[in-house]
Amino acid sequence: MAEKFDNLEEHLEKFIENIRQLGIIVSDFQPSSQAGLNQKLNFMISGLQDIEKCRQQLHEINVPLEVFEYIDQGRNPQLYTKECLERALARNEQVKGKIDTMTKFKSLLISELSKVFPEEMAKYKAIHGEDAPS
Amino acid sequence: MTEMFSTLFGQNDAQGPPGSSSLGFGPGKPAPPMPQNQVSMSGQMPPQLGDEGPALRKPGAMNEPFYLLRELPVGNELTGNTNLITHYNLEHAYNKFCGKKVKEKLSNFLPELPGMIDCPGTQDGSSLRSLIDKPPVCGNSFSPLTGALLTGFRLHTGPLPEQYRLMHIQPPKKKSKHKHKHHRPQDPLPQETPSDSDPKKKKKKRDDDPDRKKKKKDKKKKKNRHSPDHPGLAGSQPNSNSLR
Repeated sequence: MAEKFDNLEEHLEKFIENIRQLGIIVSDFQPSSQAGLNQKLNFMISGLQDIEKCRQQLHEINVPLEVFEYIDQGRNPQLYTKECLERALARNEQVKGKIDTMTKFKSLLISELSKVFPEEMAKYKAIHGEDAPS
Repeated sequence: MTEMFSTLFGQNDAQGPPGSSSLGFGPGKPAPPMPQNQVSMSGQMPPQLGDEGPALRKPGAMNEPFYLLRELPVGNELTGNTNLITHYNLEHAYNKFCGKKVKEKLSNFLPELPGMIDCPGTQDGSSLRSLIDKPPVCGNSFSPLTGALLTGFRLHTGPLPEQYRLMHIQPPKKKSKHKHKHHRPQDPLPQETPSDSDPKKKKKKRDDDPDRKKKKKDKKKKKNRHSPDHPGLAGSQPNSNSLR
């Protein structure tokens, strides 16, 4: 998996570097630079071809659309990962809290019901077993 | 109970809406007479299609005074009761991204990328969103430019107008420069170039200063006292203590 990304990364880096050099040539153009410019333009096309080839290897990769929003806002996309992990942990803790509370509630309910309806609770326990709430 | 119903509804409707009596909880009075072969309420209700919930209680226990009693859920199901970050081996990712401060700007993530990449993409129409909303119209393949096509790229001699040169200027990183000046005005050291791509150099210089080290330690202590990771508060680290 990592190889595919490395391959794409390498092609993208080469492409960006070529574009940067193209920009430098264009920013102060001299007649002698025309041959170099033509070469860079064709190199840009071959770079696009290489990136296009990488696309086939990365079909199964899904990128969350929210990441694009971060990039469009000039923000570090790792912040998205960070926020996702933090949200996941917070939700995990919330759910655990609910489960713990419900477990305590069940325990209390069973003990109180056993006091008021001992016969019924004995039958209940016969069905469900002595599932003393954990 | 039935008298109450008759006064409320004006008649003792023996047929009633199906399952209406099954909504009661607890033993109460015996349930109204049922069609033969149906012993209890749970027997009255056919299992619903697509109901993946736990099965209703066993037929052997149907005469008990409980209605709608279901089997208890199996204990080994994966729920929020377990620390899912640990379960999916994401502690490393958690510590990497949440353990330390992640720099806010895109240029910190892509330090090698030329140009002003921290500006919103919507300003200059370079947003990825626009690429999805309006995909570029292009052919199936990229073909090299031949001699005739390249004539369209003959440029005029001379420099570009100022506004088009911005692409090759890196954004100035004033913040760290300013900070450096502010804390150490008497420092005779020459101003260091505040490049984020060279953190080793920075670290070395800072570590040499014992005063700075002390200050840093104090700051850290203060910070820890207020941070949610402090043992006094609920831990936000996905360790075994926060979620058992």
